Amino acid sequence: MSISSISGLTAIVPVTAPTAPIAPGDASSAAATATVGGAGFSHSLAGAVDNLQQVQAKSDTLALEAATGQLKNPQDYLLAASESSLTTQLTVAIRNKAIEAFNDIMRMPV
Amino acid sequence: MSAFDIFRISGSGIELSQKWMDAVSDNIANINTVRRTSDAAFQARYIVAQSVDYGSGQGGVEVAGAAYGSAAGHVVYDPSNPLADAQGMVRRPDIDLGDQMTQLIQAQRGYQANIAVVERARSAYESALQLGRNV
Repeated sequence: MSISSISGLTAIVPVTAPTAPIAPGDASSAAATATVGGAGFSHSLAGAVDNLQQVQAKSDTLALEAATGQLKNPQDYLLAASESSLTTQLTVAIRNKAIEAFNDIMRMPV
Repeated sequence: MSAFDIFRISGSGIELSQKWMDAVSDNIANINTVRRTSDAAFQARYIVAQSVDYGSGQGGVEVAGAAYGSAAGHVVYDPSNPLADAQGMVRRPDIDLGDQMTQLIQAQRGYQANIAVVERARSAYESALQLGRNV
């Protein structure tokens, strides 16, 4: 991995420190942060977080339907819950690896 | 095709099995539905499964529709029945309980098999996530 590609990590800052509160499910704001970083790692991470949000929203909708008795197929909710859980684990794993990589760079003796 | 497409594909299989069980339960519930000889008998319902073209990147199975059993049924002698005609005949549905129970077992096993696929896929994905840990 070349050092120049890691410079894309600095573009993650707008994700952690948004100037305005981002409403849940607001895809346009996620897309806006993605364009800041270009096609770098932040773009991938923003896309993963955006996808995670969609999957969790679907799972939440089905959970609400299950609770209110509107759910026709119980397996739909269980499958969505599994997908949501796995997507969350995957996104967190990617984030942890990114932080680990960043810390490795920071510990590098100059 | 998303990463967790197995869930959607197996979900379609589970849904088909559920609809099959719905059809079987309807057939069994109506096994004693007697009609007049002038009317058509209760027609057994059979689910028609159709594969979703894998080449389109979709995969899975869907219910193409329902096929119906014999409308003629069985004309049997039951003069005490209020629906019996002048000859004492009524029309009973052409449903075999043994056949329906066999179909019920098939549908149930299909449901369980699709859930087993989901469990294995979930286990495989969790193993893949373990790959990235403590390296």
